[in-house]
Amino acid sequence: MPGPDEPTVIVGIGEFYAGRNPMSSIGLGSCIGLVIYDKDKPLGALAHIMLPDSQGRSERPAKYADTAVKFLVKELNMLGCRSSSLAAKICGGASMFQAFSGNLNIGERNVEAIRFHLKELNIPIIAEDVGGIVGRTIVYNPAENGKVSIKTADGTKKII
Amino acid sequence: MLNSQQRDALRELGNIGAAHAATTLSTMLMSNIEMEVPEISVVDISKIHEHVGDELSALVIFQITGEVSGGGYVLLHIPKNSVIRLTNAMLGMTELERDLTEMDESALLEIGNIMVSAFLDATATLLSIIMLPSPPSLIVDMPHAAFQTILAMQEFSEIDQVVIFRTELRSDQHKISSNLFLLPNKPMLDEILSMLENLMK
Repeated sequence: MPGPDEPTVIVGIGEFYAGRNPMSSIGLGSCIGLVIYDKDKPLGALAHIMLPDSQGRSERPAKYADTAVKFLVKELNMLGCRSSSLAAKICGGASMFQAFSGNLNIGERNVEAIRFHLKELNIPIIAEDVGGIVGRTIVYNPAENGKVSIKTADGTKKII
Repeated sequence: MLNSQQRDALRELGNIGAAHAATTLSTMLMSNIEMEVPEISVVDISKIHEHVGDELSALVIFQITGEVSGGGYVLLHIPKNSVIRLTNAMLGMTELERDLTEMDESALLEIGNIMVSAFLDATATLLSIIMLPSPPSLIVDMPHAAFQTILAMQEFSEIDQVVIFRTELRSDQHKISSNLFLLPNKPMLDEILSMLENLMK
């Protein structure tokens, strides 16, 4: 089991990590940090999801909500997690600027897509911190039973 | 994605634009501005966090409009402490330990407009086209969150690599640092590159 000094894995846009190390995504805007964790073991996964729909693309499965959910579950299954023990937490999906036209409400659509695909696989959402207008940096440490800590730019911290 | 000749041409273009932006900043602050050589990076979206972080900053963001196809953004990035020193220098104030206020926001929009207009004017003149900044959007938040949201917009969402142009502009006298970013999507980048190629013929 990893100690407190285990290096934190930084999960960039469209990437994922599954395992026992602490993991973090920096500066989530409209993107989502999806944490799926095992309720019975110190194991979990994080995907940094950018868009709601892969439209059939298979490269970078963690970039899109539909492929990311299935992919994380599969990765956790391969690490020995039973699907019935899995639970999810969702962070991000902010709406940072109103002024520009392209891809309106992308954050909100990301959140909806992830909820839909989690439901399809019967994975309960235990907590979420989504929407709003501010960015978030999140850290999840599998050694701490699914706790996700969230920091915003003004220094506010919370744990879900 | 870019050969070395294209990289040099882009750097030169950015250099000219940034020099004009630096001149306007220098006039507003009545101080010398130090300008770094522009960096041109081809960055995978998964590595954006290595270029912009989550420290509280102001970002004045402009969409590029005018006689150029595709989509692109110019961003003026100023870390929070520099914003305070910038407003203080402009308004003759000294208090450093304070939160950002409407006064800072007005100063940022003003400075952003003037610097980015100068930047786009100079680059467009070189290319013999017209490029104009949209009205600015001001965000005081994590730079990575702003970049990431731009990359999720339609003009960028299908690509996994972006070209980021960055120049650092500093006033060492006032301890102010800022970065000018240019973020063109693929069609805009291609068009700018082909204009630059024609110029060099």
